[in-house]
Amino acid sequence: MNPTPTLASAAEASPAAGAVSLERNRRRVALVILSRYGTLIGLTAMVVAFTIRAPTTFLTLPNFLNILNQSSLTAIIAAGLTMTLVVGEFDLSIGYVASFAGLIVVGFIARDGLPMLLAVPLVLLIGAGIGTTSGFLVTKVRINAVIATLGIGTILVGAGFAYSAFPIAAGVPAEFVQISLGKPVFGIPNPILIMVVVLAILWVILNKTDLGQKMQAVGGNIEAARLSGIRVDRVKMFAFATAGVCAALTGTLLSSLLGSGTLAAADGYLLDAFAAVFLGSATLRDGEFHIVGTLVGVLIIAVGFNGLSIFGAPTFFQPIFKGAILVLAVGLSTLARRYAKA
Amino acid sequence: MQSESSSAWLQVRGLSKSFGGARALSEVDIDIHRGEVHGLVGANGAGKSTLIRCLAGITAPDTGSVTIDGDDVRISQPRDAEVAGLAFIHQELNLVPHFTAVQNILLGAPKVTRAGIINWKKSRKVAYAAAERIGVQFSLERRVEDLSVAERWLVMISKALVRNATMIAMDEPTASLSDHESAQLFRVIRDLSRDGVAILYVSHRLDEVLELSDRITVFRDGRVTETAVRGQLDKRGLIRAIVGREVIAAVRQDRKATPGTEPLFEAKHVARGSAVKDVSFTLYPGEVLGLGGLVGAGRTELARLAFGADKLEAGSFELRGRPLQPNSVPRAVANGIGLVPEERRSEGLMLEKSVSYNMNVAVLRSLRSVPGLPFLSSSKTRARSNRLVDQLQIKTQNINEPIGGLSGGNQQKALIARWLTPGIQVLFLDEPSRGVDIGARQEIHQAIRDLADRGVGAIVISSDVEELAALCDRVVVMCEGLVSGEVSGDEVTEQNIIELSYAHLQTQGESA
Repeated sequence: MNPTPTLASAAEASPAAGAVSLERNRRRVALVILSRYGTLIGLTAMVVAFTIRAPTTFLTLPNFLNILNQSSLTAIIAAGLTMTLVVGEFDLSIGYVASFAGLIVVGFIARDGLPMLLAVPLVLLIGAGIGTTSGFLVTKVRINAVIATLGIGTILVGAGFAYSAFPIAAGVPAEFVQISLGKPVFGIPNPILIMVVVLAILWVILNKTDLGQKMQAVGGNIEAARLSGIRVDRVKMFAFATAGVCAALTGTLLSSLLGSGTLAAADGYLLDAFAAVFLGSATLRDGEFHIVGTLVGVLIIAVGFNGLSIFGAPTFFQPIFKGAILVLAVGLSTLARRYAKA
Repeated sequence: MQSESSSAWLQVRGLSKSFGGARALSEVDIDIHRGEVHGLVGANGAGKSTLIRCLAGITAPDTGSVTIDGDDVRISQPRDAEVAGLAFIHQELNLVPHFTAVQNILLGAPKVTRAGIINWKKSRKVAYAAAERIGVQFSLERRVEDLSVAERWLVMISKALVRNATMIAMDEPTASLSDHESAQLFRVIRDLSRDGVAILYVSHRLDEVLELSDRITVFRDGRVTETAVRGQLDKRGLIRAIVGREVIAAVRQDRKATPGTEPLFEAKHVARGSAVKDVSFTLYPGEVLGLGGLVGAGRTELARLAFGADKLEAGSFELRGRPLQPNSVPRAVANGIGLVPEERRSEGLMLEKSVSYNMNVAVLRSLRSVPGLPFLSSSKTRARSNRLVDQLQIKTQNINEPIGGLSGGNQQKALIARWLTPGIQVLFLDEPSRGVDIGARQEIHQAIRDLADRGVGAIVISSDVEELAALCDRVVVMCEGLVSGEVSGDEVTEQNIIELSYAHLQTQGESA
């Protein structure tokens, strides 16, 4: 057997390798920039490209407000999902929670005659309850999150059918529709304002409160968090509850937008939310989930869709674009990070 | 006893292996004869396991050769070892729990085939023959998960025999066996040895090694320091060979006498599973109490119990005379108990997070800007971090850099800093200077003593007897889940701690 190179021989070789290592260092910095800012660069590139190609339609205030308005529901539900991913879990029920919430909020108002100011908070509370239940199943009963949240979601699908079997008196009050159509401040649509408020609250919780720091600790190293005296299960349950509230809010806003409670209306938000959150994890930080990143993720998809529709691309391009950009962005940033370390 | 070393069946020559800068094996020569029982002893990290891993083809040595019957053999993967007739039984037995004993014995073994189709009937006969050879009494059709540990060992030995092993290495075979089961295993070992199967017997239980072995090889710091034939060494001599010195003077002169004050923290007959059987000890304020013993003695498990990380099965803990119950980590922390865990990276650090974050994660509530509101004060956070970085001389560019970039010693200091709060009363430190350079080690020791000078009770778990002798006022030694003794004052010497660490048979006899 041949002796392998020792430390001494490696040290002898290093002075000659000085120039090479400088070059390598430069490459490493470039890779770090790519892995952290790649998604932002991509977003900017899309905006610039669309502006050049369609200056009169794309680069207008109404179009921008339109993009934000369309993104706001996804952003809210995705921000909630971000919270569960921060603590190292995930929630597959959010789309179904949103659909279910959208049904019952309309039912409460139109059929049961509850005042809107009571019905909406009640539905958000139910969302929190559903999330907490998932959290309880995952942490205390220790059911795998895939099974627990898929199970809860499937139950909600059935519950939605059961609920809508009773005819809902046609027509929701105009004030309910106004939640999403109103533009009280500077003509900015309500959903954008709601999104800003929700994201701001979640950002503050995650970054400025001890609860948020504990959530990050749980996601960072659960055993270390536990041995630091953090009540890991409670922290996780809070994250699930938050995801539930955000999903219920998205469902409520969607029903307001549609003017009715529709079965399975919000199911599709599940995949959009996951796509946005994972795009966001490849933004600014190394694979960590965070609110600002999630917003960037949502915007990338929204701007892309907007561009596709302005240029009249057929609808089937939308899912292709969504899937491709997700795999591309997350894949590239993972690769860049790996090579930056090596 | 067999013949001269020149005719040894297996010869290892000049085997060396380094991990990073650390030499795990250095120019090791060892001979194994056909049919001998060969004991391997040495302290933790002396090189026994590395030798076994090299022979098993799990670790590739840097230099050295292995010959069997005079032929060079190259063992670069586990399969090579198997072909060479070497079998290895590690403590965590590699068995498939829901397979039957016979399925496990035949798993991966060459089976009797005809035209490529396995002849199960004949294959099973081979398995049964092997089991019969070592006197297996239980049914081989039972699932392994339903078998006792002793029975699983017999399954592992049968598995080795089916593969025509000429040497079987056993790592701590009696660690979880009763006295009766151990005696049964010893009979099997002697029978095999008579049949010409060599046994490489690795154990901390020196009495067993002395009783069974035809020859004993002692490892220290990666070298073979002694090779003795049966009868040449007694237990005392073996311990001397393991430690390398006879008597070591007490290093610490300013050791505090056993304080006459009220106890700060007490363990009363605490127990959990087979790791912690019945442990009582008392800690006084301002004391550095060592917990000595071998790896696996139950010390880490004891610390986790005291910290509420695992559930107590019997006994109780008391803090200043008041019982600590129910046990949970948040409750322990609220009571001023801290733990610096043994596994720094997996149980202590959030590697991607900043130095500051890692130091503050256990005391977030105290860093709120207004008590009662959940918002953190960045100025309080920064102030605490900077103060602790100065106090513990943590070498870091910036308190906001990821802690993963710091050296092991500085990471460890940050973990100690995590618990430096006004309310801390008892701090457990599990292997506080493992993988830490000598300078940082002294700074860590100083930090522990400073803490004790402030009235905190520090409990240091260490497998490094030198560290215990240098640092502690008093040392409680554990052995297999029991307290095997306690030394204080001038009795805190390496020799005394080691003797108590190897006190197996005495304590077992007494408790039985």
